Amino acid sequence: MRPLRIGLTMRILAVLVVLGVAVFPLYWMIVTALSSNSDLFAEEARLVPDFAQFGVFIDALAEGKALGWLRNSLVIAVGTTALSIGLGIPLGYALSRFSFWGKAFVTVVLLFTQMLPEALMVVPLFSLFRRFDLLDSLTGLILVNSAFVLPIVALILKGAIDGIPRELEESARVDGARPLTVLTRINVPLIAPSIAATAVIAFFHAWNEYVFAVTFIFTPAIQPASVGIANFIGELGTPIQTVMAVAFMFTLPAVVFYLFAQRHVVAGMTAGAVKG
Amino acid sequence: MTVLERQRNTVPRSGTRRRGSPRGSKWTPYLFMAPAAVFILVFQGVPLVQEIFLSFTRTSLLNPTRSTWVGLDNYTRIFGDEDFHRTLLTTFIYVIACVVGSVGAGLAVALLLNRGFRGRGWARALVTIPWAAPGIAVALIATWMLNPDYGIVNRFLETIGLGVPGGAILDSPRYALPAILATTIWQLFPFTSVVLLSALQAVPPHLTEAAMMDGAGRWWTFRAVTWQVIKPTIGLLALLMTIWSLRRFELIWLMTKGGPVGATETLVIDLYSQAFDSKQLGSAAAIGMVGVVVSLIVIAGSRFVARAAEREAR
Repeated sequence: MRPLRIGLTMRILAVLVVLGVAVFPLYWMIVTALSSNSDLFAEEARLVPDFAQFGVFIDALAEGKALGWLRNSLVIAVGTTALSIGLGIPLGYALSRFSFWGKAFVTVVLLFTQMLPEALMVVPLFSLFRRFDLLDSLTGLILVNSAFVLPIVALILKGAIDGIPRELEESARVDGARPLTVLTRINVPLIAPSIAATAVIAFFHAWNEYVFAVTFIFTPAIQPASVGIANFIGELGTPIQTVMAVAFMFTLPAVVFYLFAQRHVVAGMTAGAVKG
Repeated sequence: MTVLERQRNTVPRSGTRRRGSPRGSKWTPYLFMAPAAVFILVFQGVPLVQEIFLSFTRTSLLNPTRSTWVGLDNYTRIFGDEDFHRTLLTTFIYVIACVVGSVGAGLAVALLLNRGFRGRGWARALVTIPWAAPGIAVALIATWMLNPDYGIVNRFLETIGLGVPGGAILDSPRYALPAILATTIWQLFPFTSVVLLSALQAVPPHLTEAAMMDGAGRWWTFRAVTWQVIKPTIGLLALLMTIWSLRRFELIWLMTKGGPVGATETLVIDLYSQAFDSKQLGSAAAIGMVGVVVSLIVIAGSRFVARAAEREAR
């Protein structure tokens, strides 16, 4: 009886420690945002948020700069999601349902792109973008982010289509439906959960992206939030409370969406990597 | 949803119908792939070829259209450079520590959360938070927490009597890399633990029970039953973590820019500062190629090991 008790207590303690470690930095972001200056620089650190300071969030948004950043991030993320899924569905379908010359090669290429760092591609992409007049534009970022997230989107959707019995397509084909009709009418509705999961992945890939944004955007007015927030690091002009408030508003949507889509996202990412 | 709707609307409801060739022509799969293929070719294929070309030239960022072909010069130079040897060593340490740390911590957390207890659903959800947080936000909060004057980490270390000499962890050649590693592993362990949790579901409970019944200890049961089931997942995670760590940029760049004195400079950081600080596009490209080749070797090696393990299993 007694050793069991001790084991149980230890386990509960361990779970609490793990949760504390997982949550603390984000909690600390809130505490810092909601601290008065005197608390922040006091001898003893204040460990709980001071909700009287809530105005910092409203001020950060009212000032307008942060709101603009978040709006730019939203435009880039929505564009990337739409484009990468629009291109990824037909690619995933071709890989799942057809056998054709070069299929193995295409799969290998898609996996290969997963190991190319953005920092490596940024220089040649810069000259490419200059030639096509895509520098300093949100469209340029949507295009490049879509290209980088497209392989994983396509592999996840291929896996999802693999899971649909072919018989469901047969009856439509007997009725004379063309391949594109079969795809949009039969397959797309059935893989809706996987599409939602890839949408979350694509959205936050673009939402979080930094290297391309910091290199290709010069006009402050069209900077996304990732660049705006990164510029805070090591800069001393902005009060740390404002910095943390903006960072929190940037982080919250990502966390909330992942919590909802978590199961599908994780299953998709590993399936994409394993099965290829 | 808008994409789906748009696609649905562009499909003619009663177009030309072809009977007898229900699978479409042999060109059908290529037509489905074409838009995506063009896209990947333009934004990944062409730049990669350009980088490979650049790595054999001397090219300045200030005048990138003028390149001088120098053959293997960039490669022989970086491999003769002591700083590059240190970069390779730092990369190696960083990658190995990320893999061992994130898979190890992930496994421990997965085993902990695999037991039934009240509030387990909540615990599992909360644990994923670090992985969901954007890298930029993580770099920002980590830098603030490690601030030498007001950071909570230093305050805590002082309270328990473990001050860091000078106080500035990220400016210390000795503590900067461990701090970056801790931040990286903090961000990765939720992913590995969630993947391992779902792998643990496949462990047949009657087998572990039978092993325990036969008097096997907990450790032996883990090795004989659980470990055998999750081994392939561990291998996959180790591979993923290796590839991700070889290309990780923002977190390190924003926290230390590879410093102090190169203590946290991995291949990707080195390549970026070569290109944008030293303006040497040629040697930057060569460093990048070394990274790509290392990734390729790791992938080939892992496939080889996986095949060997499969053969052994038979």
